[in-house]
Amino acid sequence: MTFVDFLNLLIAALLLAGTYAVMSVGMTVIYGVMKIVNLAHAGFMMMGAYFAYELYERLHLDPILAALLAFPFFFLVGIAVHWLLVRWLPHSDRPTLQSLLLMFGIWLVLQNIGYLVWGNTDRSILSPRTLALVHLGPITISSLRLVVFVAAVGCMAVLEIALSRTWFGRSVRALIQNRYAGRIVGVDDEKTARLTFGMGIAFAGVAGALLATLFSFDPDFGRPFLLRAFVIIVLGGLESVSGVALGAVILALVETFSILFVPAQYQPAISFGMLVVVLVVLPGGIASLWAKRRRLA
Amino acid sequence: MSTAVFAPSRLERRTRALLPWLLLAVLALLPTAGLSANIIRLFFITFVWVTTSLGWNLLGGFAGQVSFGFAVFYGLGAYTAALMIDRGVNPYLSFLAAGLIPALASVLIGLPTFRLRGPYFAIATIGVSEATRVIMNNLAITGGASGFRIMEHRPFRQVEHYYTALAMAAVAVAVSVLIMQSKFGMGLKAIKQDEDAAADLGVNPYSYKLAIHAVAAAFTGVAGGVFARYAAFIYPQGVFAFQTSVYILLMPVIGGIGTVWGAVLGGVVFGIVEEQLVANFPQIHLLLYGLLLILIILLEPGGLAGLLGKLFRRLRRPKRKNGNTYSGSREADEVLRRAGRG
Repeated sequence: MTFVDFLNLLIAALLLAGTYAVMSVGMTVIYGVMKIVNLAHAGFMMMGAYFAYELYERLHLDPILAALLAFPFFFLVGIAVHWLLVRWLPHSDRPTLQSLLLMFGIWLVLQNIGYLVWGNTDRSILSPRTLALVHLGPITISSLRLVVFVAAVGCMAVLEIALSRTWFGRSVRALIQNRYAGRIVGVDDEKTARLTFGMGIAFAGVAGALLATLFSFDPDFGRPFLLRAFVIIVLGGLESVSGVALGAVILALVETFSILFVPAQYQPAISFGMLVVVLVVLPGGIASLWAKRRRLA
Repeated sequence: MSTAVFAPSRLERRTRALLPWLLLAVLALLPTAGLSANIIRLFFITFVWVTTSLGWNLLGGFAGQVSFGFAVFYGLGAYTAALMIDRGVNPYLSFLAAGLIPALASVLIGLPTFRLRGPYFAIATIGVSEATRVIMNNLAITGGASGFRIMEHRPFRQVEHYYTALAMAAVAVAVSVLIMQSKFGMGLKAIKQDEDAAADLGVNPYSYKLAIHAVAAAFTGVAGGVFARYAAFIYPQGVFAFQTSVYILLMPVIGGIGTVWGAVLGGVVFGIVEEQLVANFPQIHLLLYGLLLILIILLEPGGLAGLLGKLFRRLRRPKRKNGNTYSGSREADEVLRRAGRG
């Protein structure tokens, strides 16, 4: 492999990592605040993909613009789902199987609504940008991936500002750190949970719409990405937003560079296998490596 | 107070103990009644589903470990039986192997994943299941994406398949009941309620979970094998599909998680509903089950069996109010009298 090939792969991996981060961050905030493992994330990502598809096919909206429009739409959807179903779950400061199965049921419903409405044929969004390339000397970058990356980083930046500067963000961080202490100092956990759930689903929708511009999709579209999101949030330590960025970069690098060593048809098994390995070996995420070392020192 | 004490009379207990045998006798005589091949097929499929449902329930219902990975065992069982029957091995011997190999696989899977708890275990099983599917789909021995056709050098007799499946389901029920009533079953129940407390009481959660995982995998594997012999054609994206794991999980959860008859009921309802709906509206089938799952999680954790039990009790209550106020057993009377004295 030449140095140029290496650079090309590296850039491709980093561009992919941006989308992966947006895809995983919604699960992280929901897990952090509510301790719910959101299996329905896959269903909402699939819905996000079809949301962008419909807007592009019917109204000829730019797919990237459609992805940004997915944010408010899925925010409202998330709040409705929380109000209708999720808030009736018993509260717990550990993830429960009940919540896991409820989210799984929601996923099943969403997925099969998808099959009913759109059938099981593969769809894709083909815009003039799909095949365009940007040349930087010897390095070639897909311009669509670049745009998607910029949109993804923009979303992450907005989230970071919301979490660090607003009252809502402060209450989210407080509840992630300690639910009871948060309530003692006057955080309305019910309201914060509702908004967080809406935000998590909104990120799922945006991520789905962004991924739909890159890959073809069917109503089962979310499943492989759900597993990748798990790998990323476990690597990132489950509850930290900056950990998600780190996890996304690691997974994207591993996936991209494994092409050199693993036959393409076994490629999907890497992230699935990695999920098990990471859960068993590094349940505290990458950060636990440093934490351990610090404790030893 | 009076509603809390409810003990079946001796006659009732006897009929309850007899019911399973009666059911088995009726099912054993059924093929002689001259039913159509389609109905026999429906029963056969239902027995297969009931067995997998009971298998999942051993781990998920008794020990409280929700797994999304049972397609691994179903698929391994199906392929073990298929490959052996195709090479001329006696089918019943092949079914034994179809139980053994998934049981071994379950230990291999369980050794790392049972270090995880609750939802983390559940998520890890999704990873295992998906990785297995991808690998199996690319191995030459499974026939890859084009599938595997089983050539059995015997005439096809549907009744034989019917009795094989019936025997398998009956054994699964019997083993489930025996495990539930044993000390081992009590240990599993303790693990389900609180793993740390169970460990303090001398139950080793890790080895208990590995053991029940192996039994559950064996049943699921045999069911896969029996199905494969009947279907005579299997392919990795079918038997190893995530969908198969989902089916196997939904049946006991919807029927009534943690009870033997709930798991059976779940399998029966699933088999019949699937047969009626899948041919025409495959999506409505799972949509319906997703909605049912949501309703059951939020409203009736006991599943359909719990719901039926509640209805049954509601129907009986007025009878006890008028006339003879209480017709419980002698033991319950004794308990009540002592409680009154104390």
